[in-house]
Amino acid sequence: MAAPSVCVPGQRLCGKDSNVQPGRGTYERNGFIYASLTGCLMTEKGEDMTLVEVVRSTETTLVPSVDCLVTARVTNVNPRFCKCNIIKVGSKPLTDSFRGMIRKEDVRSTEKDKVEMYKCFRPGDIVIARVISLGDAQSYLLTTAENELGVVLATSEEGVTMVPVSWCKMRCPKTLNDEFRKVAKVQPSFIEQCDT
Amino acid sequence: MPTDTRRITGPESSVSPYSFCKIQEPQPLFNSQDLRKDGRKCDQVRPIFLKTGVVSKAQGSAYLEQDGTKVICAVYGPRAVIKKEEFSMKGQLRCDFKYTTFSCKYRRQYQQDNEEKDYSVQLLEALEPAVLLHKFPKAQVNIYVTVLQNDGSALAASITCSSVALCDAGIEMYDLVTGCSTRLAGDRLLLDPCKHEEYSSKEHSEVNNGSVTVGLMPSLNQISAVTSSGEIQFEHLKKAINKCSEICVQLYPVCQQSLSKSVKENIKENT
Amino acid sequence: MVDVQLSDAEKTYIIHGAQDNLREDGRGCEDYRHLEIETSVVSTTSGSAKIRLANTEILVGVKVELGETSPENPDKGRIEFFVDCSANATPEFEGRGGEDLANEISNMLARAYDCPSCLDMRKLCVVEGKKCWIVYVDVLLLECGGSLFDASSIAVKAALYNTSIPRLTVTHDEGHTELELSDDPYDVQRLDVYNSPCIVTLSKIGHSHVVDASQKEEACCLARLMLAVTDKGCVTAMKKEGSGSFDVSSIEDMLETGKKVGQSLNKSLMEVLVSEDRNMKKKYMTGYLR
Repeated sequence: MAAPSVCVPGQRLCGKDSNVQPGRGTYERNGFIYASLTGCLMTEKGEDMTLVEVVRSTETTLVPSVDCLVTARVTNVNPRFCKCNIIKVGSKPLTDSFRGMIRKEDVRSTEKDKVEMYKCFRPGDIVIARVISLGDAQSYLLTTAENELGVVLATSEEGVTMVPVSWCKMRCPKTLNDEFRKVAKVQPSFIEQCDT
Repeated sequence: MPTDTRRITGPESSVSPYSFCKIQEPQPLFNSQDLRKDGRKCDQVRPIFLKTGVVSKAQGSAYLEQDGTKVICAVYGPRAVIKKEEFSMKGQLRCDFKYTTFSCKYRRQYQQDNEEKDYSVQLLEALEPAVLLHKFPKAQVNIYVTVLQNDGSALAASITCSSVALCDAGIEMYDLVTGCSTRLAGDRLLLDPCKHEEYSSKEHSEVNNGSVTVGLMPSLNQISAVTSSGEIQFEHLKKAINKCSEICVQLYPVCQQSLSKSVKENIKENT
Repeated sequence: MVDVQLSDAEKTYIIHGAQDNLREDGRGCEDYRHLEIETSVVSTTSGSAKIRLANTEILVGVKVELGETSPENPDKGRIEFFVDCSANATPEFEGRGGEDLANEISNMLARAYDCPSCLDMRKLCVVEGKKCWIVYVDVLLLECGGSLFDASSIAVKAALYNTSIPRLTVTHDEGHTELELSDDPYDVQRLDVYNSPCIVTLSKIGHSHVVDASQKEEACCLARLMLAVTDKGCVTAMKKEGSGSFDVSSIEDMLETGKKVGQSLNKSLMEVLVSEDRNMKKKYMTGYLR
């Protein structure tokens, strides 16, 4: 492959017409497409559309957005909500963590009023959750109200990583004690994420 | 005025030894051949050295050197807003401009003084129009600019340096912002002034003595920052702004070159 | 700045109005709102002024004190600006809320006056290298209704015009310097503010620009250009403010407007000040915050 052409913000890439579409790392102004990132210019030919993108080798600005899956570590649990630090967005780790919050009513989709927070999360658990809104100035609002969402990694009182036994219980392999959690039914695609 | 509690301050009435120096006679800004003290022509800009990726911990960083003016800039973020502030759907920029205590002729205080605070605001307002703030709602990007050595045109150098650092961090931007300053002396424009050429209200009292700094987004042809000091007539002011804009446009390829160099190096490392 | 909430429709209305040189309150793009100015309003100061620009109300008090000269400028006095954003004006200023705005205004004023021809600091020197007058200018925002920079600079100029500094006689006696204050309280020295600048803020609204933006107009403007204009038509300080940017050519137009507006503002201000000074015995005082 020939050396890719590098562009910097403000560089005019091409004119905008019906069969050219501005993709990531670009913006449109006065009928032209400009680069908004420093990176390599990539064009992708579709059926009747050409997608113009600027791609960076390293990850660009990464912030949680509504509807995306995040990985978070629980830091604080109380009867109404639990607080956590978002450490990954999708499969990409964040350099700085963002604060997130799972409210009692967002833990599961059924029997919402019977949720007991201490039986769902404990500080230190690793949770996969979905962002439902940007929340307030303090934290993002997260939900685990799906079978695939919830605790994926938790340690028992003994300090051993527990094994899930049902959707609401995890067992410590050392003491064989059961502990309550809102367990995620981990999907193969997520296992891939956790490995990396 | 809050003082630095970690340092033992001198008695209140102490006077810096520099104040007993003989006051230097203002030197002529250019000689008979129209050359400036460092041999430059009036409209000649000092050569620029620009390098990105100098701070490994930061998302993006840049170092800019223009002879005696040395500026380093680091960009962190987007990260969660720490202070309790109002919710905003737009991202926020935070700028922090600081002269190191030893960067100027007189020792600077450890804390930000008024000039530095003023420059922080001007830098922020120069960069804000160029950044796609809606791409990181609720988060903030911190820009730290440190002037290691000040030999004039520090604000202009900081503008260029920080916009390149933002690019290096992968923050989406409409355009780069380049800065240029000029000293007005009567009918003449001395571009990119050194420290001894910079305007100060103590020495120069005639009309049309002053300085102008411009921040320009070259490919959009939009001025995002403009500031002046000293008493200047409108015609001269216009001329100075136009000349500065011209130079800013010429700086664009310099930034472009340095950024594309770092991208190419990155690709080489990864393959 | 102090914000008001505007809907998109309201913004469009204001932007289109500015384009057609007819603003929401019936003014043209280059018109100031009704401006009232009154001097000598606080008897405990050396000079004071109160300005009311529509619903912006600002009080400026000037105090002069005898102090040490600074080593860098042994033959000059000093002028210092302080701005106080009183929580009276808006609750947002409570605590440290108004600090940023106050700093911005005082920095801009200091820059505007940091120019030898604006105010002759040499006249403020009493004994070279030892004693000089320090002029403390305190700006108090009583009510915010837009154009704070413009209004403060006008009020500062008026207050400085109104300032009277006691006349001192210096006698040298065997190496000692003695200062003697005149017995006559009316034996005073006045400041020459003829060439002091007024700040003109040009707010960019849509493709046109307006002077003296009201709060609503400030809410739809992204970038402002501030110019400190003197009577002679010079700029002593310039600053761009806000998160927007200007087209290169539009700056020229704005400078053009700034010059015109600034010069006429200075001229009419001086006229008012001189005439008020002449009829020193006032009919009545208007007072604050009507």
